[in-house]
Amino acid sequence: MIARTTLLMFLPLIAVFALTRKRRLAAVIGMGMFSLILSAVYLLLHAPDVAITEAAIGAALVTFIYILAIRKTGRLMVVGDEVPGLLKREGDRITGLEQEILASFSKHLGLDLVVHLRPRHEVEVALLRGEADIGAGGIVCTDEDERFLATPGHLPTGLFHLAREGTTGLRPEEEDERVYFSDVLEAIRSKGRGSCTLDLARFIAASRLDLSGYAVERLAGSFSYVFLLTRDREDLHQRLSAHLDRLRQNGELDEMIRRYFA
Amino acid sequence: MRRTSFSMVVVTALLVACFCGVLMATFGYRGAGEGGAPYIARGAVETGAANLVSAIYLNYRLYDTLLEILVFSVAVLGVRFYLAEQKGSEEEVARIPESQVIRTSADLLFPPIFLLGIYLVLFGHLSPGGGFSGGTVAGTGLLLCAVALGADVVARRFHEAALERLEWGVLLVILLFALSPIALWRLPLTDLFPRGNLGSLASGGSILIYNALIGLKVFIGTWVVVYSFIRHRGEI
Repeated sequence: MIARTTLLMFLPLIAVFALTRKRRLAAVIGMGMFSLILSAVYLLLHAPDVAITEAAIGAALVTFIYILAIRKTGRLMVVGDEVPGLLKREGDRITGLEQEILASFSKHLGLDLVVHLRPRHEVEVALLRGEADIGAGGIVCTDEDERFLATPGHLPTGLFHLAREGTTGLRPEEEDERVYFSDVLEAIRSKGRGSCTLDLARFIAASRLDLSGYAVERLAGSFSYVFLLTRDREDLHQRLSAHLDRLRQNGELDEMIRRYFA
Repeated sequence: MRRTSFSMVVVTALLVACFCGVLMATFGYRGAGEGGAPYIARGAVETGAANLVSAIYLNYRLYDTLLEILVFSVAVLGVRFYLAEQKGSEEEVARIPESQVIRTSADLLFPPIFLLGIYLVLFGHLSPGGGFSGGTVAGTGLLLCAVALGADVVARRFHEAALERLEWGVLLVILLFALSPIALWRLPLTDLFPRGNLGSLASGGSILIYNALIGLKVFIGTWVVVYSFIRHRGEI
């Protein structure tokens, strides 16, 4: 009797726990706990048949199916190339300014942040295919693209054009042929031919190498880093823009920038 | 702000409802009415099943259960039909590296879980259990294997088309079996089989056979549902 009452008292508590969770996985696990305690209540009410079924279906099977079902909806997929200071792999973690902004955004939405590192030119492809929600990794928007929405810039930057001397007149499509930023660095280290356009953060990392033999030209205009979304994700774009505004207003953004670009 | 206050109202209402429920369960519980008394008195003798729950749902109320099996089949069909519309994840999904802990615990746990499932099915008419819960327990055991080894490794052991045929074949057998007494003009249903000694495995007449068929059906259905979700909603 006491055990039954205690367990029954637990049920509303766990129900409230599951209902108020923002993270879906936590809510699903709360539901599983609810089922498990409920099956104990059934057992104490002398209904072992129902208790077994509740434990097998409610606690194990349904929980598992929910976890599978929310696997794709419960997370914020971000693709981007590595950029020092913005999105950087450190061991098995990813750090950087953009990672921190996106982490606070996904926490705000109650989603799990998943960052996939992909070569720069694959970011748009991944977004258009619907494999990712947000493109990041030092994206600088130079011209309007009708397929994409860009958030207001979170960090001003500049663009630098690097070309191996004596290889002028390269066709534009030969630019940015190299894949990951680390490949670009490797190419500069081995004095490879060709040209590429680098943003400020990448340029600083590249300028630590020997840039003699390359013509460096700073492109005119003011640029800033943005996040990229496809046009059909208008609501997510609005929310991210609003979140960036909020971070800017309460000074958190400046604090983050100071931490990575002191 | 409005959403927060709304959820507060919902949570408060739930709390009040649950509190009332606790009070009623604690002080207002009067026990079962007298409605089922004849079944309790005669059930074991009439059906040969020591577990009265099984006696009710696989003998006195067999046709209720039959429609419940149909509901389950339609649910499985719905999952398969709806998820087939969504394109499966053909591209390489980043797979979680196999964890030694999960691997070892799956190796250790799968045999007893599967055995428990079979026990629940076969002894459903003597002790708590039955085809529905036993089939789910065995299916959950298979799920554990899928988590540890990868769903495709487990799926490769089954021939998918054959599994589908088996699932519907079992359903057909259950239906024919349940309808046969009517065709033979023999009621009640247990008349087709000897009742056996109360308490032995062979007691309960056709209940054991129903439990085995339902267990098989639920086991296959559980696997089909879970595997569809894994294939179309992402790797485990």
